[in-house]
Formats: sequence, C-alpha cells, structure tokens
Amino acid sequence: MAAGASDPVRTLYRTLLAYGAFAILILAAGVAEYVHFEPFTSSPGVHAKVVGVYAYDPASRQTSGPNRERFARNEQFAAIVDWSGLPQSITVEAVWYDSFENIVGSVGPGTPDELRDQTIVPAAVPEGLKYHLPGQYIFAVERLDHGRPVEVLGRRVVDVER
Amino acid sequence: MSAYTLRTAANPRPRNRPARYTIAAVIGAVVILIIAGNSLLDYVFIDTIPARATLYGLVAVALIALGTYIQERALNRDPITRRRHLIRAGVLLGLAAMLWLLLSDLFLFAQAAGPVVAAVCALACVPTTAFGLWVVRRIDRNEKEPWRLVLVAAAWGAVVATSLVIWAETFWDTIAANTLVPGPGLDASNAFSAGLFEELGKGAAVVLLFLVMRNEFDDVVDGIVYGAAVGLGFNFMESITYMTNLYSIFSPEGSGGIAAGFQWYARQVLGLFMGHATYTALVGAGIGIARQLPSRRQKVIAIIAGFLVAIAAHFSWDAWLTFFPIETSLFGLVEVHLRTVVMTGPFTAGVIVLLAMGLRNESRALYAQLRKEAAVGAGAVLPAEVDILASPWRRFGERLRALDKGGFGAYVRLARLQTAQLDLAMERWHRERREIDTPLEAEQELRGEILTLRRRAAF
Repeated sequence: MAAGASDPVRTLYRTLLAYGAFAILILAAGVAEYVHFEPFTSSPGVHAKVVGVYAYDPASRQTSGPNRERFARNEQFAAIVDWSGLPQSITVEAVWYDSFENIVGSVGPGTPDELRDQTIVPAAVPEGLKYHLPGQYIFAVERLDHGRPVEVLGRRVVDVER
Repeated sequence: MSAYTLRTAANPRPRNRPARYTIAAVIGAVVILIIAGNSLLDYVFIDTIPARATLYGLVAVALIALGTYIQERALNRDPITRRRHLIRAGVLLGLAAMLWLLLSDLFLFAQAAGPVVAAVCALACVPTTAFGLWVVRRIDRNEKEPWRLVLVAAAWGAVVATSLVIWAETFWDTIAANTLVPGPGLDASNAFSAGLFEELGKGAAVVLLFLVMRNEFDDVVDGIVYGAAVGLGFNFMESITYMTNLYSIFSPEGSGGIAAGFQWYARQVLGLFMGHATYTALVGAGIGIARQLPSRRQKVIAIIAGFLVAIAAHFSWDAWLTFFPIETSLFGLVEVHLRTVVMTGPFTAGVIVLLAMGLRNESRALYAQLRKEAAVGAGAVLPAEVDILASPWRRFGERLRALDKGGFGAYVRLARLQTAQLDLAMERWHRERREIDTPLEAEQELRGEILTLRRRAAF
C-alpha cells in the first residue's frame, strides 16, 4: 500500500505543510520588519564626517592622543563628529552602541546646526558597572525620519578588549 | 550470512547500493571542504595564537576523510571484517571529533575565561545534556534508536555544525554591522543569518542519517529523535561558549559566576528542549515524514517545509527577543520563563503534536503487522504475543517477569527477542508501503534469527 487518501502519513504531511505556511508568514514578517527599519532610501552625497575615536577624560571633557580602533575596558573614549558638512534640512543624532546593542552614549536628535557645539560624543560605562563591556562598539551618525533612524550617514566600529 | 547475527534494523542494507549514497557522499565532501576552508580562514584572518592553532582543523579533516573511507570499505565486507573496519573508522572519527572539540570550540571560543572555567562550564552542561538525550531516545517507545547513532547526531551538533557556521555567520554579521542601522533591522538581519546557517548546519546531520542509515530511520518519530539529538549537541557547545563569554565579561565586575550560572539555567534547563532541540527536531520531522511519502516531489517539499519551520522558529527567537525585555526586579525571573514559553513554546508544541501523531501511526501499523505475522504461522510472532508486543508497558512487564525467573541474562535475551520481533513488524510495514529497497529474503533471514533468539530466550 502506498500513501493514499486515507494514509495517516498524508495527515502528517498536511500538518507539516500547515506549519510551513505559518513559517512563511513568520519569515515574511521578518522581511517586512527589516524593510521597515532599513528602508531602501538614502540621501545621495550626504555623509557625516566622523573625525575619529580618541581617549577621553570625563573630568575635563576633552579627548587626547591618536585616533584609535582598540581600547581597554578601563579606558574612556569618545568619538568626534564634524557636523559642518551636513545640510540643515535633516534631523540627525550620533549614537554609541555597545556589543549588546545597548545605547551607551548619544547626542541629538537635532539639526546639524543645533548640534554644532556637541562634537565630542563619549561612550559611557553602563550604570552599575565599573568598566566598559568588551566587544565591538558601533558609533553611528544617523538620519532620522519621523523620529526613527532610517540611514547611517557616518560610522565607526571600535573594539573594547577583554 | 552467519547462523546468528543479531539484526537490529527494520530495513537491512540493500545489496546494490542505492543512489542516495552518492548524494550523501557529495554532502559529506561539501561539509569537509567547508570545515577545511574554515580552518584556513581562522589561520589567515584571526590574529591570535589559539586561532592559528586551528590549523589542526586540517588534521581533523584528514582523520574524518580517512575514517569515512574505511567506513565505506566496511560496507562491502563480511560481518567480522566489517566490524573491524567499523571499529577503526569509529576510532578515527572519534579522534577527529575530540581534536575538534578540545582545540577548536573549547580552546578558541572559551579562551577568554581560561581553561579551568571552560572545563567547569562543560562539566556543568554534561548531566543536563545527557538527560536530554536520554529523554529524547526514550520517547521512541516502539523502536529505540541505537545509542551510537544518537551520540553521533549529538556530536555532529556540538562539533561539526558549530564549526560549519562560524565563518558564514561572522561574514554576514560583520557586513551587517558595517552597513545597517543598528536596531531592529540589524537584529532581523542577524536573526536571518543565525536561523539560516545554523539550521542548515545542524540539519545536514539529519539529512546524512536519512541517506546513509535508512535502516535506522523509519518515520517521523525517528526524524524527531535524531533532530533533537543534533540540537542538544549544538546547545551543549553553545551553552559553554555563552557561559565562558559572559563569565569573562562580568568577572571583573565580580558577577562572572552569576552571569555564567544564569546562562546555564537559561540554556541547559529552561531552554534544553525549547531551543535548538525543538528547531532541529522540526528539520528531523520533515525528513522523517519524507521517508514515508510516495513521490519524490512530496519528499522534497516535506524536507524543505521542515527546514523552513526550523529556520522560522529560530529566526523568531533571535529577532524578536528584544520585544520581550526582562526587568531587573524579582519579577524578571518570572518574565524569563514566560518569554521562553511564549516565544518557543508553540514550536515545541508543534513538535509534540507531530510526535504524538507519528507514535500513534507507528503503534497502529506495528499492531496490524504483528497480527499479520502471527497469522502466517511462521513462529516468529505467536498470536498470544501480539497484544504484549504492541504495548511498551506490557513488553516491559514481560521482561520484568523474565528478570524475576531467569535473572538479568533472561531479561536481556527477551529484550533482544522483542526488539527483533518489532524490527520484523517494522520491516513488513515498510514493505507493505513500498518504502523498502531490500530483497524479500532479508525478511526471511530476520524470521530465522527471531526463532534462534526465541530458543535462547526460553526460560
């Protein structure tokens, strides 16, 4: 007897197909989420200049030393942004994300003109901790649309070593 | 064929090797190429001494290749020579696996916390994973899969699947981190990466078992067992990686042990069955259902559907985890459990539904075949044994009676007889459904063996 109309394996097969249809809905929702938060729009020619990432002194609120890509956990660091090249018609913010994608520092949102005095953006140690969490930190200058980040105009990635 | 060879398979190996072995060889070759490529990439791009040590991976690949070759040779030998070749192949494959395990995963991934912490984390995960494998094997109440295959499946999940996905996920995630807007879009991208690559890496093991060990892969129940075993193995290695990673992150803050302990609980207790075990069981369910479908088209659709469901289940957890934030208060402990149940529970329930349907089908089919076999009057199954053999509890009761009357030896002999009788019923079921590519005489040989076992089991 091969699998026929009354074959219980066919019932299993149909159940699996129903699961498969549900799976396609989930994956479609994932694609929709991706497109919503990562729209296929861009501002041609608009780039924010991230001057660099430097050691930072919280007391004096000044950076020092060379532009670096690696920091120790007990070192403080900050990015410097040059807002001058950006058009005034857009809303932007600069954000530090730690290796768990938590926001650990930001300036904005506002127009580039409003943010022109806030060129130093430090990454803060999370509350309750003594040191930075290790891993890859992303510094992103984002363009906002209706309060939502839709485009990264400038980016730096640094490693905080263990 | 020797007069007494215990046949544990429902579907003995065919005399002419089917085309599925060629497919399996191609998949195996691809896996070996990816593993070798991973080792070279580790060596070239990761600028640490442990990473450079991953060149050992090529040695492991050589051992795997040699072991596979010897295993292949064993297929055409007489039983004694075959056994010798299989042992040699097993030793070589075991060595390769151990090399991988010790030097790649534990050393490379767990180096941050140091070898002692890595060893403690690994030891903490052994009892829970062993319990998981024991439960998974027990659920196949009619015909338990051999431990060697269940352990091979778990080892694949722990060692091979983790190694297969490293670079694919690393490349994807690095590109995403450098191009996408951090936030839900990036989360979704990384979740697609994890769901796709990890389920393909784990699922390859179940596909290979389906292709090569067809005689031990009967239906959806077996698929779920092997799939869950692969998932438990993967979860074992991932648990160690996360525990050591979080330990190294939080130990300077004085809370490394708590962070590692929480990971252990989340992955080895709460998520033991509701995580990778569920995802890969869904892959296995698709392959198990394909095993019994008549047309090639339906088989392919069933296998793809199984993979799709597994990828979607994995994706939904990784992508939408942040939508269920956990408070830092005591209520957070409740939330952790609720989150797992709400997000993964439905998929685990889906596996349980397929398992229950599969077990019911299997039980009914075996009962019908046992009755037919008893009616033949060949003596392999007696009419009075049918109801006993059809019930796991009554089979167990009979074995206890044997234990009471004849000791442990009698228990074991009766267990072997019952296993062989159920194998015969399974063989008949597959033959009736035209799902078998062995000659009819194999079934007759099995009857002869049952009669021999019956004489030995007499008490």
